Amino acid sequence: MLNPLDIIKKKRAEAINRIIGKGYFSTIRVYVGMASCEIAAGSKEVMAVFEKAIKQGLNDVYLSQKGCSGRCNLEPTVEVVEENKIPVKYGLVNKDRAKTIIDKHIKKGQVIEEWTIQ
Amino acid sequence: MDHSVTPQYKIILCWGSSCQKLSSKSILDRIHQKIDELKMGNNVDIILSGCLGMCSKGPILIINPGYYIYGKITPEIVGEIIEKHINQNKATAAYLIEEDHLFNRFYRIFGDVKFYGRQMRIALRNCGIIDPESIDDYLSVRGYESLAKSLALFTPNQVINEIKASGLRGRGGAGFPTGYKWELTAQEKSSEKFIICNADEGDPGAFMDRNAIESDPHTIIEGMIIGAYAVGAQNGIIYTRAEYPLAIDRLHIAINQAKEHGFLGNNILGTNFSFNIEIRQGAGAFICGEETALIHSLEGKRGVPRTRPPYPATKGLFNKPTVVNNVETWANIPVIIQEGAAWFSSIGTKNSKGTKVFAVAGSVINTGLVEVPMGTTLKEIIFDICGGLPDNKTLKAVQIGGPSGGCLTKDHLDIQVDYESFAEIGTIMGSGGMIVIDNKSCMVKLARFFLEFSQSQSCGKCTPCREGTKRMLEILERITTGNGKPEDIQKLLRLGNTIKKTALCGLGKSAPNPVISTITHFRNEYEEHINEKKCATNDCSALIVYEINDACTGCSACIRICPTKAISGIKKNKHQINQNLCIKCGDCFDICAFKGITRR
Amino acid sequence: MNSQENITIFINGTKYQTQNGQSIMQAADHLGYSIPRLCYHPQLSVEGACRICIVEIEGMKEFQASCSYPIQDGMRIHTNTTELRQARRDILELILDNHPLDCHTCPKNGNCELQRLANILGIEERHFEGERKQYPIDDSSPAIIRNPNNCILCGRCVRVCSETQQIHAIGYAHRGFKTVVMPSYNQAFDKSVCINCGQCINICPTAAFTEKKQTDEVIRILNNKDNITIAQIAPSVRIAIGESFGIESGHNFQQELTAALKALGFDYVFDTQFGADMTIMEEAAELAERYFKGENLPLITSCCPSWVKTAEQFHPDLLPHLSSCRSPMAMLASLTKGYLAKKNHWDLTKVVNIAITPCTAKKFESSREELFLEKDIRCIDYALTTREISWIIKSSGIDLSRMKGQDFDNPMGISSGAASIVGTSGGVIEATLRTFCEKYLDSALPPLQYHESRTTKGIKEATIVINDKKINIAVANGLKSTHSLMDEIRRQKKHYDFVEIMACPGGCIGGGGQPYAASLNFFDQEKILQKRSQALYAIDSSINIHKSHENPAVQQLYKEFLGTPLSELANKLLHTQYSQKIPCGIIPKEVIYDINHSK
Repeated sequence: MLNPLDIIKKKRAEAINRIIGKGYFSTIRVYVGMASCEIAAGSKEVMAVFEKAIKQGLNDVYLSQKGCSGRCNLEPTVEVVEENKIPVKYGLVNKDRAKTIIDKHIKKGQVIEEWTIQ
Repeated sequence: MDHSVTPQYKIILCWGSSCQKLSSKSILDRIHQKIDELKMGNNVDIILSGCLGMCSKGPILIINPGYYIYGKITPEIVGEIIEKHINQNKATAAYLIEEDHLFNRFYRIFGDVKFYGRQMRIALRNCGIIDPESIDDYLSVRGYESLAKSLALFTPNQVINEIKASGLRGRGGAGFPTGYKWELTAQEKSSEKFIICNADEGDPGAFMDRNAIESDPHTIIEGMIIGAYAVGAQNGIIYTRAEYPLAIDRLHIAINQAKEHGFLGNNILGTNFSFNIEIRQGAGAFICGEETALIHSLEGKRGVPRTRPPYPATKGLFNKPTVVNNVETWANIPVIIQEGAAWFSSIGTKNSKGTKVFAVAGSVINTGLVEVPMGTTLKEIIFDICGGLPDNKTLKAVQIGGPSGGCLTKDHLDIQVDYESFAEIGTIMGSGGMIVIDNKSCMVKLARFFLEFSQSQSCGKCTPCREGTKRMLEILERITTGNGKPEDIQKLLRLGNTIKKTALCGLGKSAPNPVISTITHFRNEYEEHINEKKCATNDCSALIVYEINDACTGCSACIRICPTKAISGIKKNKHQINQNLCIKCGDCFDICAFKGITRR
Repeated sequence: MNSQENITIFINGTKYQTQNGQSIMQAADHLGYSIPRLCYHPQLSVEGACRICIVEIEGMKEFQASCSYPIQDGMRIHTNTTELRQARRDILELILDNHPLDCHTCPKNGNCELQRLANILGIEERHFEGERKQYPIDDSSPAIIRNPNNCILCGRCVRVCSETQQIHAIGYAHRGFKTVVMPSYNQAFDKSVCINCGQCINICPTAAFTEKKQTDEVIRILNNKDNITIAQIAPSVRIAIGESFGIESGHNFQQELTAALKALGFDYVFDTQFGADMTIMEEAAELAERYFKGENLPLITSCCPSWVKTAEQFHPDLLPHLSSCRSPMAMLASLTKGYLAKKNHWDLTKVVNIAITPCTAKKFESSREELFLEKDIRCIDYALTTREISWIIKSSGIDLSRMKGQDFDNPMGISSGAASIVGTSGGVIEATLRTFCEKYLDSALPPLQYHESRTTKGIKEATIVINDKKINIAVANGLKSTHSLMDEIRRQKKHYDFVEIMACPGGCIGGGGQPYAASLNFFDQEKILQKRSQALYAIDSSINIHKSHENPAVQQLYKEFLGTPLSELANKLLHTQYSQKIPCGIIPKEVIYDINHSK
């Protein structure tokens, strides 16, 4: 019988594989805050913008929801993470900002500094 | 702003007390010097962080991107490290440390943000970085490893000893040592025991628990399973508010996922330990956050507290030994098991170990959830992390612990956050509400607000709380409406002290705190309200008087807007306000274009 | 630590050895310190709500309620420090500040624990007066008036109703300052599950619950000489009424009370014990019929109106087991109007039956249509509690103890000793068996050897063996144990032939209409029931006629009028039927079953 430590090791490896299978190592990972405070601030609409963009052919993006990171006054928040770059954290993201983030940051690699959380 | 000229590297220097002792300060000087030398000032940001929890390997320096952690650095060597890393893009392997703390991932994403850099996220380590509805995400950040570790390597007793040694104390407010609580339950001989997670968060403005559950439900579940293993419980209950639908949804999802993976149910991870968790929704009574009232509510009874002893640890739910801990406490458990008691107890102050989450709100630039090591000063939280007060307002007071806590003044800003120092100055840690108050707020009105809450949420069982807070509220109401009497302050203190010493439960005992502490620190405001019938902040509307001054042009804009027809006058002549009709809404004051109305 | 062990505690600096396992209050009580208290009651669970009984324990920041805090070895307790005295006083003032200031017009004036406590703690001025609660008074019930304005929320009534009686007729509603004790759904009391036992009245420290007084009507009726007024005195009244006049409990005031009632203008004063003898005759016959047929056993007594309502609401499936016999009060009243009035050609509209009882539920019983003589003619017109008749006597300037004794009127003034003990738990069953054994088994009743039921606490059981016959009996008082006994009967775990139920603790002697406790000392109160019971048994042995069937007046009545027990006429006047009642808040068992199975 397997030791609990072996079981958890196996489970963790499987979980990581599943995450990778979902495209975790796509070029860009996008996290949208989806705790109830963020949802109240409008993050569902933001999420919908990203989902729609992916549906319409935005490739190489791993989209995930996340919990709340505690930045109440800057919600909704969105993180754009690329390997070996400082993750970019956007605050006060609304539908329009989300579209701009897709157009400028995700598609063209231009970070929109004035919207980032410093 | 053009991205190409913004800093590319973020250097995080641990500014915890341990690292500071180990010459962080001279290291910082050297870093600045080196960056000037390299003329890289535009490409590098330097951030001072709170304790990063790696004290034994301090001083710690982290360079982003990549979250490279350098340990045991010295002023002599730091220049070389910086030069190699930043100028030549090469890490200095000799000083690089492989610290895979559970919370490192958070800082890999957020470490460069000032708001997070000074924090230390243990309970909230996964909040905002994993998908709360995905157990895969949780497993990928070493989720349930602590559970496996407990089951594989520790006896239940060893788990308890580990928690005891960690110095973890209840985060619900009272700060009872968690390990000792568990030990009491473990020692009880009973065929049935319960584990309860108290998620009945009710303080106005507090949302730490909701956030923790919504963002990382598995951590709480894992903590509870470890607790159940330690004390020998078969069933666990998460008691949460019905007003937290998303938290409840996510808990359901997490519990089902945990069952599928064999973390809950029979024979957990192949051992003969079995445990189940169910969710119960409270109906929104604040008092049900008190553990005995919570237990009554779970038993289907009216949610009122009962006298203790016996404590729930020996006689709890259905008279069975029961461990009740709050959400934040449970969230700390997996980290303690994973990182070890010695590590955990290295964070914090002498008697308060680990971190504490605060919900910072009020007159502050960055409102939000802040998790800091015990021992952090209020100044650091309010000014360094939360960015201070907006619009150049000045800080007047900090209200800590919600309706159970007290007000501190700017003289207390250097107080270190821990159970003892809060108790010393007449407030409590509480569950972590922190409201920053600027000089536009009236402290009497604030005290009245909190007392109104406590009074409306009193269960009505014991006399001091039921009747006493009502009388205190009546006195405060008369003070804030200009009917205060000179003896009222004395009466408030007398009643407050009696309630504190005689009420049945924690809610009652702490209900007078906001009043007593505001009297202690802002007695002059009370006296002004009572003796001069005046509220200097114009916050108490009943004490405001609007009068028309000579700047009045007789334009009659105020006459048109006044909802009670209190203003009269002939056009182009000075108008008058009938004080008997005025409801002090302030509309005339706002609409007057000529500053013709005086507010006093 | 062993609870039998002796430990050392210090009270106000004096060292004492006392048994471990006690609360501070218990220990202090035994050592001669009477810590003031309000919500505490020895018959009930500890609430710790009023906070009057606080003490200071050295080393603790806050005061602790002595009723709930356990003593510990070496504990240093202070009961009387300046700060403690002020806190205790302030808490009591807080209670008084939300209490009507109407002591002199309050029905509890002179018997109020709050009033006595205010005096003891020296509340001479008010510091914190403010808003006071205002609720409508609920006088819908025929027996009990609920006045929440007098309520101080000590919760004793809630506890006695849920713990001692397990009826749960009242509970707390709302929060904080708006907390109020009320029946479920805030419905009128007469629509609630309340069984009118009146234990809430006895246990209330103030006047939040009182009986529905009929004193004024009775006085008016007595003063109208056209009326033929008939009083009857229940067994438990005569041995308790002295307490209302400051005389120690257990003294029999039968003759003085009869004289006093005559002095008040009653035309006839009969003995409810005569009715009890009749009940025993009928019930013994009913038992014989069922016992020999083996049908509907156990026979369950139905003298107690609170129990009857309980059975109708909570145990409708067991109603066929209830004796069809009316209560002694009802039988006597039925006979005065249905037999005596006709015999003497009285105008029935002028005959007024007034029962003097220890019971509040008798007021409710008298309003039951099942017991009417005919449509719109009640058998019992008024039922006065011991307290009410005491007040009438006092207010009429009569000194009960100095009355020259008088005998009951005849023919319904003669009774057997058996009839006197029906006022105490176990009495009805014993009295009935005396007659049953002699009349139907041709043998004297052997001494009853009771033992505590092994399965259910608070139930006495006995088995009587006569020749080859075995009779299993059980006796319960207080409805908590009654509910469990009914469950046993339902599950047929054990066979019983005859079961006696009385709703009040100790039986009618502990009824909800008995005199209020004379002191704040609960130790005395516990002894009172014992003394009242002993007094009834003393009457039993002092009467030469020991069994109901030997009562010549009873024999005469059967000979002259009724024929035999269970005769057609007896059935009409002395028996009745009960049916299921579903007040708001009760879900019948079938419905619960349906709900569970429709899921």
